[in-house]
Amino acid sequence: MKLSRIAVIAAAFLTMSAGLALAEQTVIQYDCIPNYANWGGVTKAYQKKTGVVVPPDMKGSSPSMAALEAERKNPKADCAYYSGAIGFQAASKGLHESYKPKGWEKIPAALKDPNGTWWTVHTGHVAILVNTRALKGKPVPRSFADLLKPIYKGLVVYDDPRFNGTGFTFVAGINAVLGGGKDLKAGFDYLKKLDPNILKYAKENSYNELLRGEIPIWINADGNGLKAKNVDKAPIEVVIPAEGTVTMPLVMGLVKGAPHLAAAKKYLDWLLTGEAQLLMAESFFQPVVPIKLDAALQAKFPPKSAYAKAKVIPLDQMAAQADQIKKRWEKEIEGGR
Amino acid sequence: MPSKTGFVFCLTLTLILMAVILLPLLVVVLGSCVNASWLGLSSDLWSGSRHDIFDFSAFSYLFQNYGDWALFSLELALGCVAICLLVAVPAGYALARHPFPGSVLVEELVLLPLSLPGITLSMALLAAYGELRGPLLVLGGHLLYTIPFMLRVVTATLRSFDVGRLESAARSLGASFSQRLFMVILPNLRHAMMVGSLLVFAVSWGEFNVSFLLNRGRPQTFPAVLYDTYTNQSIQISSAATTIFLAIVIPAVIAIQWLGGREAADLEQGA
Amino acid sequence: MPTPDHIIASQPASRGAKRLQLAPLALCAPLLLLLLALLVWPLAHLLQQSLLLSEAPASGLTLHNFREIVLVPRYRDALLWSLELSLAVAAGSTLICLAPAWLFTRYSFPGKRLMRGILTLPMTFAGMIVGFLMIILLGRAGFIPQLLERLTGQPLLSGAGYRFPGLILAYLYFEIPRATLTLESALAKLDARLEQAARSLGANHRQVFFWVVLPVIRPALISTFAVTFSVSLGSFGVLLVLSLRHFSLLPLEIFTQYLAPPTDQGLASAMSLALLVVAFGTGYGLRRLARRMEGARA
Repeated sequence: MKLSRIAVIAAAFLTMSAGLALAEQTVIQYDCIPNYANWGGVTKAYQKKTGVVVPPDMKGSSPSMAALEAERKNPKADCAYYSGAIGFQAASKGLHESYKPKGWEKIPAALKDPNGTWWTVHTGHVAILVNTRALKGKPVPRSFADLLKPIYKGLVVYDDPRFNGTGFTFVAGINAVLGGGKDLKAGFDYLKKLDPNILKYAKENSYNELLRGEIPIWINADGNGLKAKNVDKAPIEVVIPAEGTVTMPLVMGLVKGAPHLAAAKKYLDWLLTGEAQLLMAESFFQPVVPIKLDAALQAKFPPKSAYAKAKVIPLDQMAAQADQIKKRWEKEIEGGR
Repeated sequence: MPSKTGFVFCLTLTLILMAVILLPLLVVVLGSCVNASWLGLSSDLWSGSRHDIFDFSAFSYLFQNYGDWALFSLELALGCVAICLLVAVPAGYALARHPFPGSVLVEELVLLPLSLPGITLSMALLAAYGELRGPLLVLGGHLLYTIPFMLRVVTATLRSFDVGRLESAARSLGASFSQRLFMVILPNLRHAMMVGSLLVFAVSWGEFNVSFLLNRGRPQTFPAVLYDTYTNQSIQISSAATTIFLAIVIPAVIAIQWLGGREAADLEQGA
Repeated sequence: MPTPDHIIASQPASRGAKRLQLAPLALCAPLLLLLLALLVWPLAHLLQQSLLLSEAPASGLTLHNFREIVLVPRYRDALLWSLELSLAVAAGSTLICLAPAWLFTRYSFPGKRLMRGILTLPMTFAGMIVGFLMIILLGRAGFIPQLLERLTGQPLLSGAGYRFPGLILAYLYFEIPRATLTLESALAKLDARLEQAARSLGANHRQVFFWVVLPVIRPALISTFAVTFSVSLGSFGVLLVLSLRHFSLLPLEIFTQYLAPPTDQGLASAMSLALLVVAFGTGYGLRRLARRMEGARA
């Protein structure tokens, strides 16, 4: 009797797994965080349109690149999404296939690789996202310098640059924003001074915690904050710091040896269509393809004047220094007693 | 006569520990369906905008989006149970009743994963089988953690005075191996196999660290849903996911206690 | 005269025919195969990886990675902190869980099984989950601070989860089941007659506990300590979620070295093996000590 029970369980197991394997067409995208740039909504729309499932993937930019490197001989992912510099780095490591999706010509030259190993899908900026209710009456910080004030002790969070692309862009870019030089001293001095006010260096996505008020001040992409404010109706204010900010192109690439090549190409093509770009714009990331945004949506973005001091840092430069910057951050800011 | 004050002291401390363990779970289960402002808590910081006192929409969201992950975890757990029964029961019999040179080493090796850091085991599996990342490798990781439980329960039962004595008596009366197997050994092992299966199921269902590192793509195991939802979804949804997780694990744990905590307790006595 | 029971039971069943020697091996064969494939072979690979430089794998075997663990302050600190934290958690949980273990072995009362069931629940939770529970309960916007704010007007304990006591509490949370079960099984083997004898000689309950029971259960305390120590040492999920500033643990460093570029596989492997050696070595050593103490008593 025992043996027959076991046989039944084993048979059920095998048939179920076989069944699930044939279930639906998928495209695997590394770094497909539902609440970052509304990938949840974008992939859902794609599924509704074509029936192809793009499942969520919680890896940040850097872990995605590491995963692709580890899987070089036997790729599991079809495409990956990164914060600009990391995507550039991944492409230069030969992890991507050259591919120019439909609509390629519409992307500005500065935002893509001439050979098609990476291209921008939308752009964000580093901003200060504030949950005003969680601040409990404290004034909203308006600049990076404000964040250094002692009243914000234990209230500020930014993502660990080793795990998260936006966090990396902030750590790498703050130097340029503060007018520092090649030695990056200005930037790292600032981060050192900011450290006492930091609650934690988050290693995973903190969107939910910002909404809840668990994290009162989050340094992240403006688009995420604007979505929290306008779509999720949370008491969030998005502050473009007075000193300026860093423009952050968010890029994608087709993985070399993608398992679902044809489906992946169709998916990447679709992401540049007006339909997809509009969805991304509705989540407040700047579309890379020129599309018409209606006035009501446009009004919800911060005024263009706020971005007057936005710095554009060449991606190749950031990518070349990426490993050094992470190690230096690990040593000088995070490490030690 | 055991001391009265001792009883009260131990009971109080134990009740406090129980409260500590239950509190977050209760909060989470409530958070999945009860509107926080009704609970008297400062509202939207916790639950966003909801109007009803009870609201189970989070559960339907989860079933829609992560139903197959739950199924995958259940399959893995049942698969572990099947493999453990097939592999560990005969081996347990051999090791307990017919020891051979090296059998002590074999037992120590089997129990080894329980005292090793999970990340070491994951890294070792990845070093050897990196390219095979996926459901099969996850199953392998789970087996490393579940076989020791089944083996321990079986050997503990077989080494216990009663079963050993019965089998030897049967042998000395001339019973053949298959007669001993079906009339003495298996019936006595039934209880151990049930407890073992429940333990294997619970351990596999809850296993996350190794599965997280060894799996790729989808579906992932159910605890990964917890990770997903805690970082990316609202409190209602992550609480609902935790509630589902508990709904599967609690009955298994209670069943183990009901059937006989002694076997379960014996296992934990280190490797 | 019939053979005494204890002699029958102690005879291994396989004395005699050579044919029988192969059968147990055959029964163990699938298990041995799995052990080889899932444990021995991968650990060998890990060892090989740890002895190679990740940037220059062809340059041959070297102990460089192991030296890094000791030389680089960051990793050395992580290892030391791991040891300190695990020692503290092991000691704490062993002592605290004496109470429930004693309760379950010495007394019976209704609801005992339910209580034991609840106490063993956290054993199935991953470290990360416990971290999240900690934030929900004691984060900046946690349940307890909010409740306390409602009651007293001050958000007491807000953010307590992100400080060291919160970390220890989270670790204790999932160690309680293990410590309780291990202690319970060891205590159950205690002979109650020792206590009765002491009492019949006039000792009161407290004297009996401190002078008779405690010395006898020392080996049990040591094995429990060993088990909880090994498990705490390997756990990093809690810290990954709580992300305490300026604090790291070796398993988290392994995780980072492996998952977040620039990665160093060789270093990650070396750290994994170092952790293995410490965890297993301490655990095994302590358990041997405990068994010897038990044996000496017998």
